[in-house]
Amino acid sequence: MPKHELILLKNMTQPGYSGSLGEYERAGGYQALRKVVEKIAPQDVTTMVMKSGLRGRGGAGFPTGVKWGFLPKDYQGPRYLCCNADESEPGTFKDRQLMERDPHQVIEGMAIAAYAIGAQSSYIYIRGEFVLGAKILERALAEARVAGYVGKNVLGTGRTIEIWVHRGAGAYICGEETALLESLEGKRGLPRVKPPFPATHGLYNKPTVVNNVETLANLPHIINRGPEWFASIGSPPKSTGTRIFCVSGHVKRPGNYEVPMGIAFRELIYEHSGGMRSHRPLKAFIPGGASAPFLTPDHLDVKLDFESVAQAGSMLGSGGVTVMEEGTSMVWATLRLMEFFHHESCGKCSPCREGSSWLVQTLRRIVAKRGRGEDLETLSDLCRNIAGRTVCAFGDAEVAPVMSTLKHWRHEYLDLIHAAEASNLLRPEPAMARH
Amino acid sequence: MSNTPTDTIRLTIDGTTVTVPKGTLVIEAARRVGVMIPHFCYHPKLKPDANCRMCLVEIEKMPKLQTACSTPVADGMSVRTATTVVNDAHKSVLEFILANHPLDCPVCDQGGRCDLQDFSHQYTPTTSRFAERKRIFAKEYFSPLIETQMNRCVQCLRCVRYCDEVMDVKALAPVGRGTMTEIKHFGAHPLDCEFCGGCVQICPVGAITSRLSMYEFRPWMLKRAETICTYCGDGCQITIQTKNNDLIEVNSAHSAGRNNGDLCARGFFGFHATTHPDRLTHPLIRRDGRLVEATWEEALRFAAEAITKLKLAHGAEAIGGLISGRCTNEDLFLFQKFMRLVVGSNKLDSSARYGHMNAIQAMRRVQGAHRWTVTFEDIAAADVLLLVGTNITETNPITGLKVKEAVKKHGATLVTIETLQPAIGTISNIANLATHHFTAQPAQFGPVVLALLKAIVEDGLGDQQIAAQSSGFVQAVQEALGKLSWKQLEQTTGVAPACVREAARAFAGGRRVVVLVGPGVLRQPGGYHQLMNLLDLLLVTGHLTRPGCGLAPLAEENNDQGAVDMGAVAELLPGGADLNDRSARERLITLWKEDLPKSPGATLTELIEHAGAGALKGLLVVGENPVGTLGTAAKTALAQLDFLLCQELFLTETAAMAHVVLPACSYAEKSGTFTNTEGHVQAVRQAVEPVGESRPDWEILSALSILMGAPIEYGDAREILKEIRSLIPGYGLLGPSPTPPKVHQGALDSYRREGFAQDLNSRYTLSPPPVPGHELTLLLNQSLFHSGKFSRRAKGLMMVQGTGALTMNPTDAEAHGLVGGESVRIRNGQGSFTATVTVHERVPRGIVVFPEHFDEEAKQLVALSVDPVTNVPYVRSAQVTLEKAT
Repeated sequence: MPKHELILLKNMTQPGYSGSLGEYERAGGYQALRKVVEKIAPQDVTTMVMKSGLRGRGGAGFPTGVKWGFLPKDYQGPRYLCCNADESEPGTFKDRQLMERDPHQVIEGMAIAAYAIGAQSSYIYIRGEFVLGAKILERALAEARVAGYVGKNVLGTGRTIEIWVHRGAGAYICGEETALLESLEGKRGLPRVKPPFPATHGLYNKPTVVNNVETLANLPHIINRGPEWFASIGSPPKSTGTRIFCVSGHVKRPGNYEVPMGIAFRELIYEHSGGMRSHRPLKAFIPGGASAPFLTPDHLDVKLDFESVAQAGSMLGSGGVTVMEEGTSMVWATLRLMEFFHHESCGKCSPCREGSSWLVQTLRRIVAKRGRGEDLETLSDLCRNIAGRTVCAFGDAEVAPVMSTLKHWRHEYLDLIHAAEASNLLRPEPAMARH
Repeated sequence: MSNTPTDTIRLTIDGTTVTVPKGTLVIEAARRVGVMIPHFCYHPKLKPDANCRMCLVEIEKMPKLQTACSTPVADGMSVRTATTVVNDAHKSVLEFILANHPLDCPVCDQGGRCDLQDFSHQYTPTTSRFAERKRIFAKEYFSPLIETQMNRCVQCLRCVRYCDEVMDVKALAPVGRGTMTEIKHFGAHPLDCEFCGGCVQICPVGAITSRLSMYEFRPWMLKRAETICTYCGDGCQITIQTKNNDLIEVNSAHSAGRNNGDLCARGFFGFHATTHPDRLTHPLIRRDGRLVEATWEEALRFAAEAITKLKLAHGAEAIGGLISGRCTNEDLFLFQKFMRLVVGSNKLDSSARYGHMNAIQAMRRVQGAHRWTVTFEDIAAADVLLLVGTNITETNPITGLKVKEAVKKHGATLVTIETLQPAIGTISNIANLATHHFTAQPAQFGPVVLALLKAIVEDGLGDQQIAAQSSGFVQAVQEALGKLSWKQLEQTTGVAPACVREAARAFAGGRRVVVLVGPGVLRQPGGYHQLMNLLDLLLVTGHLTRPGCGLAPLAEENNDQGAVDMGAVAELLPGGADLNDRSARERLITLWKEDLPKSPGATLTELIEHAGAGALKGLLVVGENPVGTLGTAAKTALAQLDFLLCQELFLTETAAMAHVVLPACSYAEKSGTFTNTEGHVQAVRQAVEPVGESRPDWEILSALSILMGAPIEYGDAREILKEIRSLIPGYGLLGPSPTPPKVHQGALDSYRREGFAQDLNSRYTLSPPPVPGHELTLLLNQSLFHSGKFSRRAKGLMMVQGTGALTMNPTDAEAHGLVGGESVRIRNGQGSFTATVTVHERVPRGIVVFPEHFDEEAKQLVALSVDPVTNVPYVRSAQVTLEKAT
């Protein structure tokens, strides 16, 4: 019996739950949508979501109701809803589970959001690798269409709420909302210059809302049980509701854990995830996906809400908690993350494109014990020069691991560089393979 | 007059206050106060992309540095561009950009005019702390004309964005991710595009350069001459760059000229034509049936004596003259003066007769002015554009860019009536941008125009005021159109009435409407009547007299309009006055202090006719090649002449028949002025020394006049321009764009009172629809890569298109059992020729298209027809059958 009440994961943790429409309906599914389209005016849905305090679960944590409120009120043309299901952040795997195990919860959430913002066409932009998830969603959508929850005449109200699944082609950057829109339009997935923001100039230059899968999955519950109920969960007033944290790394039971926001990392790691996998103590953890700066054992009592994690110098991000035990080389861990970012840098803007390649090459050298004395200064310079100067938030993300490990584990870098200077002084630099 | 506060924004840049229009970007506002913010990806022609991050600036109250290229100004904004933070940002961004740059300036053609080089000198130390491996791209062959060196690329995507946003070609795209992003084209073959050279011009570094001048120069070695391109009527300003009198490259400075710095393949890559080894370098005299080299003195004396002898024996009326619309205004003016005063004959004409005269006569008749009443700016600012038979990308590519700007940037409604239909291809297709498109068979544009007119009068879309003021005219139009049934129209045009009605509503509802007309109308049978009907369309909807609206016939040759203005056509005196206009004659007689010949003029077709009939004994041909254009008919006629003089660059078909051939200078070797299709007079400046002993045409004519005892002498071309100006006030002031003429009220009134009646009913009839059979219509069309036959001497253009191929619809090809690349025999009663087939959906069924630049053999199939009103010879289409060549 879990310690906290499950909301999003409730259905799927019932024995034998397959996620079919019938089972979802038996568990009370689509009641919220029925209630909304029959009884609640669209703007009142937005008000309810605002009241609930629901914040985006994709990473930035922007208040969902406020985001919807940015859409121009008097705009006559089409407007769109996009569900960001391009979950690609290393260490994050909650959306995948939500879509694969309880697809109708996501679809109902989308239908409610589409109703609230007046979108006739909505898209689920799903990560290309989620082949299974895409199939399950397609099947679920077909069921929902037949049942009248989605389509031309939703629940006999004459309202059109169409939802389409669009598979990505394998780029991390397409999780960035404007790159997602570009990709959805059939173009190369590159982030757009903001402003203008998607709320006014989004998909096909029309007002658009982009919401994360988990964010949308919360909506039916807010409608069913009321915004006040939702706002009372977690760490009100700023971090309400539960979050699904994806715990990975050196713990006994890696996996998704839905807990109210505001519990401490210690509880998440040592109670829910069963603690460290061996006798080695915890050395470091990433609190919110690869883009979030590393934290140390000193931060174990930090509360898992947006403000507290930010105060500790990191971010709650996408909820991917990666735990590392004593003995892990932090330089090597940084290199692994940096290799990911280098591989995924879209190449649109110079600091990120060139900086990621420079960073990764320097880190590779340090790890290979070919570091140089000046490397550390170069690394921190590069990070400073990338952060805040790029088109999208990718630049800030890619320097987070480097900057935080340089701050907390600088000596590990120095040890590697000193080892290099001691043993390899006279050895010529071996040729490196082209990456 | 001050602007309202909502229109302008006040802000400070580095402490200097500046007031700019709303919507201005910070980078542009800074430029106004002399602050240059470094940048790579920003370009005034393109939408901001903010990808290079070079232009970061500090803006008060904003926590992060902002890109000046994408941030619009706001009231009270305070921008700092030179603080330590900003400088550090510039340095660091540049350090990033240089990280993977090969620093191969010593072998890079961009060296000396490279933004990266300049900014590096400004910001970075001489050494780099980047001690890792640079990324290297495999070198790939890109195209015969354009060289790419992707290691130098800074990924600013200007080339990709230009190709899409301005040219609408979309030939380039970034491929790969992160540092491995490189600019490529589509498909596993060399680049196949419009070759406008825009990517070469807009690249801030040496990543994309021209292969025509590869490794030949450093920018500081080049001598520059700003002049005007001669390949079409658009009149683009080009900068010819030379090294030791060798042509090195041509480009166009940003925002220069009527083209705003944009060029097409002909302008950018076609400059070698003038230095082709076949250029005539010495005068030639026919001796014993052969043309042999002679001195200028011999040749001029020979010619002067021959003309004088003919004049004495047969009278001045036995001598005619023909000049090319590619000559300068000065050449054209002096030519007609020479013909009228020295020879004493009005029998002169120019190549404006090949089509432009259809437009001139129609415009003179209805609006009293023989020039556009609109400008390029009006096209770009139009909200509704109607294109009729323009084939605009191929014929007038830069005017085409104005149309694209109107549609793509400002969302104008585009109605196209074109032979070529919408289809994706390697070059842009204006029909693809159309809101309403109607495919019309060659010479069948008229019925679609009539259908539009019918929809307008029937649906009450006409202008109420016009209907009230000229009820007679509108009624006559209504009655004439009433006789045409929709069923008939639909049968003839193949266009559904509902579509026509929709387009008519859009056309009538426009506030700024420009109608562009191209060779499909001007150079095809019935051209004059179709132009008249288009003017009626403008008149009935009230657009004709509205500011920013009007008819814009596109001149195919660079100075067709100048030829008309200079009076180098059969029916006009300088300034566009009628040949028999008494006051214009008086003015000329006073100025020239000599009487003008009273005889009637003779058009090009009449000149040929008279020569064939023996009435014309001598002919002076300046830069024109009637035998090449009109074929056998002209050849037989000219063979009858006692004396044929040619002033030419090359030994053309006509020049080969001449008794004396005098080598003339090309536009690159002389000074003067050209008048472009919109009537804009622009300076032509000498870029290189004359080839061989060649001399400017006006100088040759002047020399002849001296030998003929009636000297018309000038020190240089400027003196001629001065004389032109005294006849046509304001002509060629070369200042800012002159205001176009307005519709002449008197002429318009007389047209709608009674002028229309003489031919309205004959204009508002349908020619029988083409009978569908096994015959196809062969259309000799303009190609984007050539201009007349002249461009075939340009090695760059020949690399893109070296031969003519027959393009046909895939369905027609299949019906004939043909596939692309096969050889086909095209024949009719008059002859046959063989060509290779290419297949494209752009060409509608029933039509096969062949480029007129390679039509020496194709020409024989064409039956010459002549416009009964304007005497324009039509030589661009024929009925043919195809068979697979074995």
